[in-house]
Amino acid sequence: MERLARAILSRTGLVFGRSFFPLFAIAIILGAALWGPWVSLGATVIAIAAALRTI
Amino acid sequence: MSSATSNIPATAVLRPGRLLSHPQDWHCILFHFFCLSAYACAFWLYLHPTVASITGPWSRAAFVLASALVLGWISGIDVGVNFHNHSHRPIFTSPVLNRWFGRFWTFSGGWPSFFWEYCHVTIHHARLLADDDWTLPKHTPDGTFENFQRYLFTHWPWRISIHLWKDLTAREPLRRRSLRELAIFLALWSIPFWIDPVMAVFLWAFPHWIANAFVMNSGMYVQHAGCVPKTPANPVSHSTVFVSNFFNLTMFNIGFHSEHHDHPRVHWSELPELHRRLKQELIDGRAHVVPYGNYHAAFLLAGDAARQKGFAAQDTRYKAADSD
Repeated sequence: MERLARAILSRTGLVFGRSFFPLFAIAIILGAALWGPWVSLGATVIAIAAALRTI
Repeated sequence: MSSATSNIPATAVLRPGRLLSHPQDWHCILFHFFCLSAYACAFWLYLHPTVASITGPWSRAAFVLASALVLGWISGIDVGVNFHNHSHRPIFTSPVLNRWFGRFWTFSGGWPSFFWEYCHVTIHHARLLADDDWTLPKHTPDGTFENFQRYLFTHWPWRISIHLWKDLTAREPLRRRSLRELAIFLALWSIPFWIDPVMAVFLWAFPHWIANAFVMNSGMYVQHAGCVPKTPANPVSHSTVFVSNFFNLTMFNIGFHSEHHDHPRVHWSELPELHRRLKQELIDGRAHVVPYGNYHAAFLLAGDAARQKGFAAQDTRYKAADSD
């Protein structure tokens, strides 16, 4: 049972990991409806700066 | 083929009765679906501004800029990495499905799929780092790549259009196919313009420029900057290898770039295993290996001479025993 749970968790992690950037983009775009466009812009600029510095 | 790669399938095996060529390929479809969903969300909010607290020109500009940046980012990956895998190993077992899914894949990155495939497979892979590999930056008289920013701003769509025009109009069958593919692309690519031309400029064409100039072009630059064509003396110096785990997880293992060029038919999900098997060959061959991904490499190569030197530094885990 534990092995099955781990396998499911691992596969789910892989799916979300591989689609990380498009999911992040959707969060930024749809997030504008929650927190407004300026926060989305700020989060985008921080994400780009972090990517350029680290990965 | 070396013993390290002998157990890895060399070609995409098209098994009858199965939709996908490889079990992991559904990740490619999901990635593309998320990208198209992101565009749909951005269009919808643009057309319903009050939902996104867009109250005037400045808040609209903030929304458009944030959306265009992330849309460009993911489109660059979706075409430059995700479709790229499909161009080497088609993801479906059906050739018709491969062709049509490809057309619906690259239009959201500003490309007809056939044109992108031609540039990458026929030109870049077949002529890697040769003088006629016009997909890469031009060489300066001292043999190095031209300036990073110059390549980013002049390559797509300007230079590439000229090269494609010359190549694809040279022979009749190629010309006919190119015209057909261009017509299909324009029909698909024009859809957002029919909905709202201003929206299409800012949330469709502008992200495609970001995707090509900043994501795909910078990727091409960093993957081969400082590299030399493959020879018996320099078998693994044609590409830089990027071993960041996060980068490779989120970028379909494109960081294992030397392995990919030497074994382009190896499935993207099998590249980490191939890398492990070839690790010693990479160290012995003095391959350039760095511990980060394309993005930090672009940051280094876009800087002054001092920052560019940082790119030349080798990952300590991949230093040859006799190197200083």
